[in-house]
Amino acid sequence: MTTTRFSPLLISRLLTQPSRVFADLAGTRPNAAEVFFKLAIWLGCLPPLFAYIGASHFGWHLGAGTPLIVPKPVLAGISFAYFLTLLFGFVTTALVSQWMAATYGARLSLGIHMALITIVGAPLAIGSIMHLYPHVFLNVLVLVPTLIWSMYLLYRGLPVVLRIDPQRGMLMASALVAYLLVAAVSLLGLTAMLWIHGIGPRVGY
Amino acid sequence: MCAGVYVAAELVWPTIDFGQPWLSFGRLRTLHTNVVVFGFGVPALMATGFYSVQRTSHVPLFMPRLAWFVCYAWQAAILLGGLSLLAGVNASKEYAELEWPFDIAITVVWLSFAVVFFGTIATRKVKQIYISNWFYGGLIIVIAMLHVVNSAALPVTLTKSYSLYPGAQDAIVQWWYGHNAVGFLLTGGFLGMLYYFLPKQADRPIWSYRLSIIAFWAFTYSYIWAGPHHLHYNAVPEWVQSLGMVMSLILLAPSWATMINGIMTVSGAWEKLRSDPAMKFIVLSLAFYGLATFEGPMMAIRSVNVVSHFTDWTIGHVHSGALGWNALITFGTFYFLVPRLVGAELYSRRLANVHFWLALAGIMLYLLAMWAAGVSQGLLWLSLDELGELRFGFRDIMASMAPYYVLRFLAGVIFLAGAALMAINLWLTMSGRATRKVRPPAPVGTA
Repeated sequence: MTTTRFSPLLISRLLTQPSRVFADLAGTRPNAAEVFFKLAIWLGCLPPLFAYIGASHFGWHLGAGTPLIVPKPVLAGISFAYFLTLLFGFVTTALVSQWMAATYGARLSLGIHMALITIVGAPLAIGSIMHLYPHVFLNVLVLVPTLIWSMYLLYRGLPVVLRIDPQRGMLMASALVAYLLVAAVSLLGLTAMLWIHGIGPRVGY
Repeated sequence: MCAGVYVAAELVWPTIDFGQPWLSFGRLRTLHTNVVVFGFGVPALMATGFYSVQRTSHVPLFMPRLAWFVCYAWQAAILLGGLSLLAGVNASKEYAELEWPFDIAITVVWLSFAVVFFGTIATRKVKQIYISNWFYGGLIIVIAMLHVVNSAALPVTLTKSYSLYPGAQDAIVQWWYGHNAVGFLLTGGFLGMLYYFLPKQADRPIWSYRLSIIAFWAFTYSYIWAGPHHLHYNAVPEWVQSLGMVMSLILLAPSWATMINGIMTVSGAWEKLRSDPAMKFIVLSLAFYGLATFEGPMMAIRSVNVVSHFTDWTIGHVHSGALGWNALITFGTFYFLVPRLVGAELYSRRLANVHFWLALAGIMLYLLAMWAAGVSQGLLWLSLDELGELRFGFRDIMASMAPYYVLRFLAGVIFLAGAALMAINLWLTMSGRATRKVRPPAPVGTA
């Protein structure tokens, strides 16, 4: 098998040729630091950046009444926390995926797991362009199909990239989905707790 | 499920009740919850319980005629009960809306269920009581206790009764019932289903039998205390609320012990996914079981609950469990069981695969729409203006939810379409074939 280096340009073909992208990725032996600094960190910048720009110009539209305007310094703090949370989520997901790999007989290098998570998560990072107009429902409308696309990519790409049987890939992808769902809902709960303790939008409690 | 989709549509287009009281949201929503839990969930548990207890006890059912009585009487009670709800007869207790004549009928049928089930175990030919039977047994005993205590009421007419408990005590008893009905029926009962059908489908023993026993007792001990988390910030003592919150958090440990046991069992049986379409449903149900049993304790924390309570986040949570866990594991069990009952191959694996993806898409759309709606609602309910008054009115907030409710309606249609495909698939599998009669396996060493 020919071994090529990991190329960030892979994501440009994700929409039209997902199978090729995963086949190409399967032929690489990416270095974890290379994936992190070449692509993941930049993709991770996009959602907080878009959210900062959108929320500082338009405020958050929750659906009823006037938009929620948060002062810019607070917004910058929230956006930075968002960025750190995304990076933390990315690294822990890659580590969890690597930890699961032993159970499912998959490739064990951290780099390939980081590359897989980056590629699968890329549509969500790009779809976060909707944060430029932070209307909750419009964001849901764009990000839900994007999330379903990302899930499809995970189920389809995981067995190819990690070189395991499709059936084992299905099991491992489902285990990762379980982890990601729990992580998502934890974030939701943590955010609610922060709001209630005065960090974020002012709520009456 | 049809009633659920219809009430979801009513939240977007309220006039589709056409002025008919029986089509109104209040009556149809009650019908939806009762028929899904007691008309779909309980018969699935009764059927799988009767099926598995014979095989794990190595004897035929105790008093088989009584088992037939349970089958027909239960369905007749739920059918008539459903009609009474549409007629507006309602005891005004959530998930216990059926009035006293139905409560008595349910008690009689449930006790008959207990006699058949425990009679079969008492006459078993193997020493050990397999773990699935512990969960089914827990379901039968605890639901009987909850139902009888919570339904205690003073009848004044044939269609009206009043609870024996006054005020806040009534609320505490109600949520002791309500949450443990979720716990011992929708969680414990279905864990019984999981512990029998997962190893059968995977064709290998459960990963850790010891862990399953520990999980059962820890689950049974901790669940029974968790009900008061439904009453945070209400007129019940604060220590009761704190107890409910803490026990809910403790509950995470046994819940996840089972999830890990299930995932590890199935991870060694991946080849089965090639030939068995049912496995996918079971695998995914474990993922949503993990989500729902994490989300529940988290929402029981008071500083999360203050945002999530009285919002659609709760509805999303309930459906992550009901659709993602209960429905998916039941669908998987049906795909396993029905072909075996008639001694035939499943009519179409392709249809089953389409069903799987429709179910997954429907659940994800439902959850994400309700999460977004719920968090928005929570923030809006809590928003105050400069004078410390509520910034937004109830009507304004609800009006802003319509787009999310359209998404939820679509999610329901997608999920229902998948279930309809399954019904067609199973019908075509069964049509023209008689049920196979098999004997329970002989005890080990006597064959």
